[in-house]
Amino acid sequence: MAMQRTLGAEWGHAMLGLLCVVAACIGVCDAVSVVDVYRMIQYDLQGVPFGCRRAALNHHASSLLLFSNSSQASDLSRSVIIVPVARASIAILKDLIQKKQILGGLLLLLPSRFSSHGSADGSADSEDIDADMLENISELEQLLIHKTLPYPVYFAFENKKILSLLREVEENDAAGKHATAVTGGYKLVVPVSEPKKLATVSLSNLQAWLPGLRGDGDASQLPTIAVVASYDTFGVAPALSEGSDSNGSGVVALLELVRLFSRLYANPKTQGRYNILFGLTSGGPFNYNGTSKWLKGFDQRVRESIDYAICLNSIGTRSNNLLMHVSKPPDSIYIKQLYDVFKDVGSQIGLEVTLKHKKINISNSRVSWEHEQFSRHRVTAVTLSKIEHAPDLLEHSGGIADKREKVDPSAVAQVVKLTAESLASYIFGHQGSPIEVFADGSSLAVSHSYIGSWLELLSRTPRVAAFMSKSDPLIEAFRKELSEHTPEVSIHNEPFDSSFVFYNVPKAELSIYQVASVGLDLIILVAVSAYLFILFVVLVISTKSLDDLVVMFRRPPTKKFKGA
Amino acid sequence: MTLFHFFNCAALTFGPHFVYYTATPLSEYDALRTCWKAALVYLGTTLVKLVCLATFLQVSENDNFDVSQESLKAVINLLDVLGLYIALTQLTYRNISQNHKFQAVGLCWAFSDSLLHRLAPLWVGARGLEFTWDYLLQGLESNANLVFTISFTALGSLMWLRKSKPKFIVPLIYIAAAVLITMPSIINYLRQGLSWDFSKVVAFELLASLCLALLTWQLFIACQRPIGQ
Repeated sequence: MAMQRTLGAEWGHAMLGLLCVVAACIGVCDAVSVVDVYRMIQYDLQGVPFGCRRAALNHHASSLLLFSNSSQASDLSRSVIIVPVARASIAILKDLIQKKQILGGLLLLLPSRFSSHGSADGSADSEDIDADMLENISELEQLLIHKTLPYPVYFAFENKKILSLLREVEENDAAGKHATAVTGGYKLVVPVSEPKKLATVSLSNLQAWLPGLRGDGDASQLPTIAVVASYDTFGVAPALSEGSDSNGSGVVALLELVRLFSRLYANPKTQGRYNILFGLTSGGPFNYNGTSKWLKGFDQRVRESIDYAICLNSIGTRSNNLLMHVSKPPDSIYIKQLYDVFKDVGSQIGLEVTLKHKKINISNSRVSWEHEQFSRHRVTAVTLSKIEHAPDLLEHSGGIADKREKVDPSAVAQVVKLTAESLASYIFGHQGSPIEVFADGSSLAVSHSYIGSWLELLSRTPRVAAFMSKSDPLIEAFRKELSEHTPEVSIHNEPFDSSFVFYNVPKAELSIYQVASVGLDLIILVAVSAYLFILFVVLVISTKSLDDLVVMFRRPPTKKFKGA
Repeated sequence: MTLFHFFNCAALTFGPHFVYYTATPLSEYDALRTCWKAALVYLGTTLVKLVCLATFLQVSENDNFDVSQESLKAVINLLDVLGLYIALTQLTYRNISQNHKFQAVGLCWAFSDSLLHRLAPLWVGARGLEFTWDYLLQGLESNANLVFTISFTALGSLMWLRKSKPKFIVPLIYIAAAVLITMPSIINYLRQGLSWDFSKVVAFELLASLCLALLTWQLFIACQRPIGQ
């Protein structure tokens, strides 16, 4: 093989050697630049098509100026509009999406800071993502998710190359020289086939049991406390839906709780008389479909043994107010008992816990909080979240605007501490008395570095359930982490049989070509023919004579140019 | 549209060879047989050169101009001279005069070279969507190469085939031949050592080829004169 490689390389040398030709030709390939692009989600909801319905792209690049200046629809249907989301006016963009204008395609540029793998061109621009921009992008995302766009929509990260292209295109558009097949310009090509439905989508729920201490001869089943977080996301670009806050923060908090309680339970003296069930559920954005399946899979007795279920959702934002969402009436004895514990512990660590009640409407299929799935199975459950209002379908589901910057690891740590202390005081029955089990500096302290590293990982991993296989590395990582701390871990794969249908091609490669116009080619043709003709005339005159030339042109001259 | 561009580039790359063949008396002498033989010699030479390059040259990781490697390459390039020598002197051709023989050999040599080195990149590259000037430049380079090769075969025929030539001209012929032989190395140096643009390199090649062609022409005429008088 080494021999082959040498020979192959020597080919290059040989070509260079005499006439140095080919190196330039190989270099030519670099002129075409290839950009990673992330396609907008395409899905059917109850048979109704949503999202962007096309994937293949092969049109000229143009800018938003073209849309705001001109009114000819025919122009736009053959051009890809490039929009830098951070700088463009969101109003115009919305206008573009709202109007049922047919575009050749839409390429939305996200700031390079949005790339979870560092800025694409290696330039360290320290410009922070400001809250306004996140707000705008999040708003745009919600708008796009509920639209049906008959043209391909792609997301890409800004880099130098693409920005300089955009500048050039904008200048051309401003000057009124629109890029069409005749005038040259840039051509954007995504060579993919039409998207197909994803045949089988499975939801993988992970569960881990931490058994409590059973008294001697105590045959009866121990009560159980469940801690649950859903880990998957949904966003306008599935390959970019990393969902740091929704629900990366909840997952991180759950993993840290697993670690803390496994330590606490490792010593029989501090092992409580409660089993703890940890669940990482899938299908969260889709009415907690996975949670429902998971609960249905439980044995009746196990389900009845659950005293409480505590769901963690979007707890990473910086705020001193944590909401405890419940669906049972707040004056119910069970809720009151739990709320009091959380409130007391919260006041000790400076976190205000507020109770928020929302009744379940059984006839409505929408499940806004994970605890509602538990409540539907008659398990007392609460959701801890920093989100105040019950999110609509596909809202707050960890889309492209839900970046690592939104989450404060210390806020997550605070909620972990609150939950851990509350659970401990509930388990050990220390209501009211100020004890601190998970004290800072002790071996049971909440680890900021653990939270930080998991948060980093989750903020870099897109987790839309439809695009995760059963053996996805992330699921494997969860399983490993859980089995490191708990004796009994299992993965339940459930079919996703909701009204959602997804389509493939979440990401692709965009090739950018600088193309010449037909006019230029014509000019070159004329020039080359003229050159060959002059060469012919000169050679004939110099080697034969003028008369010969004249004789030749008595005959049809085209015959002479058959080679040219 | 891109096939159009390919056509343009191909016309620029290979057109001059055809024009040369049809416009000069070569076509009247039915020089194709000569061409055919010279092409075989070219093929053999290129293969031998490839083997030599693969055997003796190290793979360089960077594109820097390495003097020792380049001189080695220049030595291997002397094989071209050997090949042309064989094509000019050792092969027997019927029906062709000295003057037309070197033209036929040079033309064919340059054409085979263009065909082998340029057609594949052209086919692969110029039909792509991306527009670059490189293939047109490459076509111009092919023209320069044609002039170079014919100049060199002209000098070669002066050196090896012509018995009587003015004494003072002999060193000039050898100097010109030496310049022609070192041309690829010079171009390589410009390209890699000084990292010139491709366009600049091609301009230089065109200019140099024209100068050398003029020089060769003058030498040729000078050699022709005593016989005529």
